[in-house]
Amino acid sequence: MVLGELSGSISRALAQMSNATIIDEKVLNDCLNEITRALLKADVHFDLVKNMTINIKKIVNLDDLAAGHNKRRIIQQAIFNELCKMLDTGKPSFIPKKGKTSVIMFVGLQGSGKTTSCTKYAYYHQKKGFKPALVCADTFRAGAFDQLKQNATKAKIPFYGSYMESDPVKIAIEGVERFKQENCDLIIVDTSGRHQQEASLFEEMRQLAESTKPDLVIFVMDSSIGQAAFSQAQAFNRSVSVGAVIVTKTEGAAKGGGALSAVAATKSPVIFLGTGEHMDEFEVFDVKPFVSRLLGMGDWSGFMEK
Amino acid sequence: FSSMFQSFAGKANLEMSDLEPALKALKDRLLTKNVAEEIAEKLCESVAASLVGKKLASFTRVSSTVQAAMEDALVRILTPKRSIDVLRDVHAAKEQGRPYVITFVGVNGVGKSTNLAKIAYWLQQHSISVMMAACDTFRSGAVEQLRTHARRLQIPIFEKGYEKDPAVVAKEAIQEASRNGSDVVLVDTAGRMQDNEPLMRALSKLISLNSPDLVLFVGEALVGNDAVDQLSKFNQKLADLSNSPSSRVIDGIVLTKFDCIDDKVGAALSMVYISGAPVMFVGCGQSYTDLKKLNVKTIVKTLLK
Ligand SMILES: Nc1nc2c(ncn2[C@@H]2O[C@H](COP(=O)(O)OP(=O)(O)OP(=O)(O)O)[C@@H](O)[C@H]2O)c(=O)[nH]1
Ligand SMILES: Nc1nc2c(ncn2[C@@H]2O[C@H](COP(=O)(O)OP(=O)(O)OP(=O)(O)O)[C@@H](O)[C@H]2O)c(=O)[nH]1
Ligand SMILES: [Mg+2]
Ligand SMILES: [Mg+2]
Repeated sequence: MVLGELSGSISRALAQMSNATIIDEKVLNDCLNEITRALLKADVHFDLVKNMTINIKKIVNLDDLAAGHNKRRIIQQAIFNELCKMLDTGKPSFIPKKGKTSVIMFVGLQGSGKTTSCTKYAYYHQKKGFKPALVCADTFRAGAFDQLKQNATKAKIPFYGSYMESDPVKIAIEGVERFKQENCDLIIVDTSGRHQQEASLFEEMRQLAESTKPDLVIFVMDSSIGQAAFSQAQAFNRSVSVGAVIVTKTEGAAKGGGALSAVAATKSPVIFLGTGEHMDEFEVFDVKPFVSRLLGMGDWSGFMEK
Repeated sequence: FSSMFQSFAGKANLEMSDLEPALKALKDRLLTKNVAEEIAEKLCESVAASLVGKKLASFTRVSSTVQAAMEDALVRILTPKRSIDVLRDVHAAKEQGRPYVITFVGVNGVGKSTNLAKIAYWLQQHSISVMMAACDTFRSGAVEQLRTHARRLQIPIFEKGYEKDPAVVAKEAIQEASRNGSDVVLVDTAGRMQDNEPLMRALSKLISLNSPDLVLFVGEALVGNDAVDQLSKFNQKLADLSNSPSSRVIDGIVLTKFDCIDDKVGAALSMVYISGAPVMFVGCGQSYTDLKKLNVKTIVKTLLK
């Protein structure tokens, strides 16, 4: 599970605090130090971790807590709120509707899992009754079109691409046009991997977005990414206005904190997790139940209403 | 914070409490540079251990003493203990009348196939004849991807399509290379997660069946704390699962996507620290010439900046 280890560390830190007879400054600091370490170990961006700790401390001002208050519960709630704040932008992502054409563009760093996630996304919606189609606007990576084609063929999803054309913008426009005419309601555009250090590739991405006018741009992130995640996500968002995030390769002992920092950087929610290389290894992501599970707590519903 | 800059000239031996603020600041710096938490912590502990009880040289600050000790430690870790000269070893194998075999391993999407192609190009520049072996028989488009590189570089490729046993494909490729007199065989493998037992077992089989001259672990500079887990598990599983008496480990590291990280160079340190293997190549872009050697000095300077 994403942030799997974090869950254990936070529960342990909270449990230790519960064992303490009185909660004073030191107990609170120990608890926060443990949580800080756990967050950094899970690759959450350094500045986010710093801010979270400061915020928790502010909320849990020990002097202000009158004797009657349940300090542990207040501290737990503060942690819960901070995690939710990091992961929940409060802004729901665009949801495609059956029978109404939507164009979805996938972007991200090299090798993050865009092409694989494109097919998974298409396949997921196909099972729900959509008519998806895939457009390969990656003319750069060797074998990119073959990869998408083989994936699409396996899933029986129509695809468009070219071995000859080298201009991805041209292909994207043609592909989207073609599938609009064929009445596909979910047209998915796969793009090449790129990074912020290469301005020309970002310009190409901007042109792709401008010419296909996507209803949603999905930013795909590898769950193992570290401290570089935040600024890369920010750069993508500045260029093409990201609307949702997919975190991939989350099976096993994924840390995920770097990828989840992308939520804060793009102010866009995580909508799916990739959990394997196969087409159906794809899970819908929902923040609040995720955070409660993460904290290993039973009923957090009382905390959610504010 | 100010205590960090106090001059301890003439003071008695350094105590842990003198060092703590400077160490904490240094650890934070390493973390922002994407060094794995566990590694940053261990490094600080060892620097502390090396300084506690020592006398501070006159007119130096604790912070600069700590920084200097850390710099020494970093240089020591990053400077390879075993050096591998691929070109020399290729020629030695050639004299024995056999191809030199390099296998590329690593998790999904880190750049194995692309950097294999870059290394093929680099070998060609040294007048070494290369053959590629398409042993990722799983991921869609993997064979076509390698075929494209082979065609562009005009290098022969050995492929058997998809769903074949990669260990067997590699074996046949090496036999073919012996027949056609290729100097080097570059074996591409499918990406796999370090916790995926069946896939790790299959990789171990490929390696024990073919005993390549060089097993290169490909890891991306973007990776965070998972670098530690990836390298230790690949190492450990190759050793555990191989049935040959002399167990194998990773010989060297290919550090990729170095162009994506600005000053966040910490993954290089995490990978070398945990495996003891040298970084043999650094991938810094997507074209064939984007392959460099690791510059230890620059890395250390960037980490401490
Ligand atoms: N284990 C695992 N592997 C995944 C997952 N998603 C993608 N992959 C693998 O990650 C590797 C890279 O995936 P791609 O879909 O090719 O990535 P990409 O972002 O399209 O790559 P570029 O187009 O080169 O930038 C492939 O080996 C995929 O099989 C996942 O959820 N779990
Ligand atoms: N920026 C940059 N991109 C790189 C570098 N090396 C590889 N890539 C890109 O990373 C993506 C994945 O590379 P591959 O070579 O397919 O990775 P792989 O490890 O073989 O992937 P799988 O076989 O699917 O596990 C491609 O888009 C490459 O162009 C590098 O040094 N810098
Ligand atoms: Mg792709
Ligand atoms: Mg590959």
